[in-house]
Amino acid sequence: MLFAAALAFIFDPANLLGEKGILPRLMDHLLYTGLSLGVALLVGIPIGLIIGHTGKGKNFVIALTGSFRAIPTFGLLLFIILFTGLGLGPLVFVLAILAIPPIIAGAYSGLDAVNRETIDAARAIGMTEWQILGKVEIPLALPLILGGIRSATLQIIATATIAGYVGLTGLGRFLIEGLALHDYTLAFAGAILVAALALVADGILALIQRLVVPHGVSRGMARTTTRSGRRTAPPALTGTPITEG
Amino acid sequence: MQSHGVKRIAAGLVAIGLTASLAACASGDPLGGGGGELGTITVGSQGFAESDILAQLYGQMLAANGYTVKYSPSIGSRETFIPALQDGSIDLIPDYAGNLLYGADPKATATSTADVMAALPAVLKPLGLAISSAAQAQDADALVVTKEFADANNLVTIADLAPIASTITIGANTEFESRSYGRAGLESVYGVKGWKFKAIDDYGGPGTLSDLLKNNIQVADIYTTTPSIKANNLVVLQDPKHLIAAQNIVPLFNEKSYSVAVANIVDRVSNVLTTEELMSLNEIAAGDSKPSPEKVAKDWLTKMGLL
Amino acid sequence: MQWLWENRDLVFGLSLEHVRLSAIPIIVGLIASIPLGWLANRFRVTRAIQLTLFGILFTIPSLAFFITLPSVLGTKILNPVNVVVALAIYAIAIMVRGAADAFASVPRDVIQSATAVGFSSVSRFWKVELPLAGPVLLANLRVVSVTTVSLLSVGALVGNGALGYLFINGYQRDFPTEVMIGIVFTLIIAVLFDQILVAIGRVLMPWAHGVRGSSRALTVGGAA
Repeated sequence: MLFAAALAFIFDPANLLGEKGILPRLMDHLLYTGLSLGVALLVGIPIGLIIGHTGKGKNFVIALTGSFRAIPTFGLLLFIILFTGLGLGPLVFVLAILAIPPIIAGAYSGLDAVNRETIDAARAIGMTEWQILGKVEIPLALPLILGGIRSATLQIIATATIAGYVGLTGLGRFLIEGLALHDYTLAFAGAILVAALALVADGILALIQRLVVPHGVSRGMARTTTRSGRRTAPPALTGTPITEG
Repeated sequence: MQSHGVKRIAAGLVAIGLTASLAACASGDPLGGGGGELGTITVGSQGFAESDILAQLYGQMLAANGYTVKYSPSIGSRETFIPALQDGSIDLIPDYAGNLLYGADPKATATSTADVMAALPAVLKPLGLAISSAAQAQDADALVVTKEFADANNLVTIADLAPIASTITIGANTEFESRSYGRAGLESVYGVKGWKFKAIDDYGGPGTLSDLLKNNIQVADIYTTTPSIKANNLVVLQDPKHLIAAQNIVPLFNEKSYSVAVANIVDRVSNVLTTEELMSLNEIAAGDSKPSPEKVAKDWLTKMGLL
Repeated sequence: MQWLWENRDLVFGLSLEHVRLSAIPIIVGLIASIPLGWLANRFRVTRAIQLTLFGILFTIPSLAFFITLPSVLGTKILNPVNVVVALAIYAIAIMVRGAADAFASVPRDVIQSATAVGFSSVSRFWKVELPLAGPVLLANLRVVSVTTVSLLSVGALVGNGALGYLFINGYQRDFPTEVMIGIVFTLIIAVLFDQILVAIGRVLMPWAHGVRGSSRALTVGGAA
């Protein structure tokens, strides 16, 4: 059976190392993911915090980054490559574009969910705006901020497979090779590896999400502070780009 | 502002399309398709421009002679379109004789056009495939280097790569490595081994070319009829031992779709298609106005008096 | 622009194909998610199983589905059904969680009131729960719509990408205009679908004019 054959491929030590081994491709996949996520965080977190804190420009920014979601990543990547040639830069750029909307949405909705009375109280006891942001809003918003990052990470990991089509490697190579050589086992193995990586990454981020919630802020509390009153518990095992709200 | 108007019109068109397509779904025939007088033939093409043009040449000839023709462009590598032919997804696709032979029979030894064409029918029969006449036109895989790299390393033939093989990277489509002229053939025929491989799946297209010009790869697999070879003054390494077999253009059929009548129509293209004509077709397609394969094919067929 | 005019038949045909191949998964996703989401919201166990299962399905790259589905479904490798099924799986994966949230957003006291005034559980579902879950369902459906329209183009790697064909063809011909036209038309279809969904929402849920649906769509990033 195909699934068994794919698992056999994955657990065959002969396929672990070497030019086309699982390990080097996994490391490359992690590299692409890490770089793209880093860029997306550098751009997305400040924007999300600013609009979340000030409430200014939120419609514009959210609509703009929301429209990023509609951009076909694959097409944008090929378009850029026609001007730059093959390389890491175009890939990181398009993956960051993909990851920015959920990161901004997470940061923005995290701050937005903080009770206005809490912020007013902080202001009343003499905190500066920076202190309010750093000591009140961000800690309270962390679960949702991290939720956005989790969602972004999962999307990057799945989409980074297209690297294998444009002269780079990563786990996507197993898919492209499976396609080019009509080898379903190889393609299946690639799919399993990418899904496994995504699940592990999600698990780690979920753990961090749990650890960073400050003392005195239980998730239950974060839940009660939302204005809409809907459940906002951090999303579990899912990569849906929509659950952070 | 202008683009706003265009968007609106396009949106309107798409809206009409939505209605039409939902109606098509409702009729339970997702592929639409009426029946021509002589039946329907689906012509596939491989994942690059030349193949799209060749598919249009065959398809337009068939359409002009009473067949209903559908196209299934950019299917991909031989490993994918052969199963597509066998399962009836497509009926006909332009292919390259040598690669077809070695793909079907890795132990084949033929290299000349005559030998390859003689060997093919017996190999294809068990696969449920058939061919009609090959064109004189050839478009072969070629190992290509920049002029500077050729000069610096005194490269004329593929064999000249042997001394520097361990220092070079060859860029080509994924399937190149496992082809008869890939890793195994390069070593056994020319002693070229130990090279690195970079998979760039654009059939010697812009990604491969820019990597070659930037020296990210030193050798590229680019097809001999590709206009970028001349345009960039690239050097095609000679193949005196015929590692890469004759690659005449040949119409490849699903056996069930093959008939003498269909073959005769398609062969009228093969009869007049020379390598020079093929290169000019590719140059027209790569020209500034980037005409569609459909238009390139139509103009050529008209010029040749076939339509 | 000139190229677009000269190739209008091609672009129009591919756009139609794109609309068709992406509309089906979106509709399937909506229809399947309503019972699944209701179940997930109703029972803790089914919720855990469903969210885990669809969470895993969502992590599988679309390309992997496109390549391997023929061997699972027994379909021909160029059959557009492969791409449609793959996208429907994604649509359901996104929608189920959203639908569970949507049903959870219906206030408990409203459901109890409905029961108290004599609604049977069936009519309570159709007349109370589903309409009140509507705005959140719609917000999720908008995200599914955008995602599906965008993901479909990757299908070009397996010969079924509709407008994605322009990406690969334009790339291989070193012709950025063609790739850009593919991107622009994909965006147009995404916007069009989104507008249609919003319009349907207005007609079916006139009471929900914006308020909750739009705040959801905002945090979600929504569509263009």
